[in-house]
Amino acid sequence: MHRRLTFFVVLMLALLVQLTVAPEVSIGSVKPDVLLVTILCWALFQGPAQGALFGFFGGLLEDIFSTAVLGVSAFAKTLLGYFCGEFQQRIISKSVVWPMIIVFCGSILGELIRFATWAMVGLENRPPFSLGLVMGFALYNALFTLLVYPIISRFAAREEKAMMFQ
Amino acid sequence: MMIERQNRRQRVLIITLIIICVLLVTVYSRESKDGLFHRLQRFSMDVISPLQKGMSKILSPVKDGIGFVVDMGRARGERDSLKEQVEELKGQVDELEDLRRQNEMLRKMVQVKESNPQFDLLVVDVIGGNPDIWEQTIQIGAGYDDGLQEYMAVLSEDGSLVGRVIVCTAKASIVQLITDEKSSIGARLQQNAEMGIVKGEGGGGVKLELLNQDAEVNEGDVVLTSGMGGTCPAGIPIGTITEISERRADLSIGIRIEPRARLTRLEKVMVVLSPPPSAAPIEAKGGN
Repeated sequence: MHRRLTFFVVLMLALLVQLTVAPEVSIGSVKPDVLLVTILCWALFQGPAQGALFGFFGGLLEDIFSTAVLGVSAFAKTLLGYFCGEFQQRIISKSVVWPMIIVFCGSILGELIRFATWAMVGLENRPPFSLGLVMGFALYNALFTLLVYPIISRFAAREEKAMMFQ
Repeated sequence: MMIERQNRRQRVLIITLIIICVLLVTVYSRESKDGLFHRLQRFSMDVISPLQKGMSKILSPVKDGIGFVVDMGRARGERDSLKEQVEELKGQVDELEDLRRQNEMLRKMVQVKESNPQFDLLVVDVIGGNPDIWEQTIQIGAGYDDGLQEYMAVLSEDGSLVGRVIVCTAKASIVQLITDEKSSIGARLQQNAEMGIVKGEGGGGVKLELLNQDAEVNEGDVVLTSGMGGTCPAGIPIGTITEISERRADLSIGIRIEPRARLTRLEKVMVVLSPPPSAAPIEAKGGN
């Protein structure tokens, strides 16, 4: 029960920040994807299943609160959450550098999945792919990991403590 | 066993989620603008927009701060680019100024040509000076091939006397300036046609030696070529009298002339091809 509540609270907070704060802290046309950073950090603490679920619901909510094709973000973030969770079992280091690298690579991969899905769906008027923009986006997300990772880490630690008492 | 079951459950979960996503994408792509999902998106945006507005107001200082930092970076880039442009434009301005000056000079030369139809003038570039401090000469970019010959008179852009060709090769010539110590040219005063010889003093000075020592001469009088000696045609302005000294022991008076041609800033000169020189110049002799 506690786990579900934490899941819900973190998800809602991340979504709110993504919808309200992220557009305000954009640098040029690059704005951070706080939701993606949260999903990847969550998956790093909770594993592939939780990562996939968090990615799915986070992406779905993002799709609902935007004008994008419904399901595309959910699809990309589900895959990223799952594979990032798989990484969790292989990383021993506690350093924030690893999550930053994972977020950087995950951001690029996420955009590639998004473009591939748009192409598969045959979406008209899709924006032209810009590697510079994607790299800037990935870098900004990696920097945001410095903020998000410690918060998720605290949530995870609190949850672990609650589980122990149960 | 437990781990295997967990793995299987995870795989089922991810496959299920992906299928749901694919279904959502498919349904959304096929439904009309008034379909369920489209309406849901519009409703959600209505719900979230007040929150976004409020947050936008709260975070406006942060946004401004980021904008400031970004603008600073951009401004620095723009500054560098503008600096480059300024340098480029400065170069263009210099070039244009040079062209304007050359144009003005050529215009003056055309005027001189038009006002002296009796002369056949050839415009020639000055290609160098003489490195020897004892000789006041310049090198010009025309020679025999262009119709030049020794002792031809050379004029400045405004038609004043510069000097005389003393050495002529196929493609270039050396002009002895009127300030050269070895230069002597037949001259007369414009006011009363008193005859004399203009001699170079070296170092930029020119003096006039009148044949009639009792002739009336005043500062500011204009000195022209007399045509005597056969090298320079008559009537070419040489300069203006600036200084008349007291009578010396030999009863002659020292008369200094300020050359009208700007001899230190010559870029183009005009050589008088016709009438051609009919004799060798008078050799200047030392002494005052």
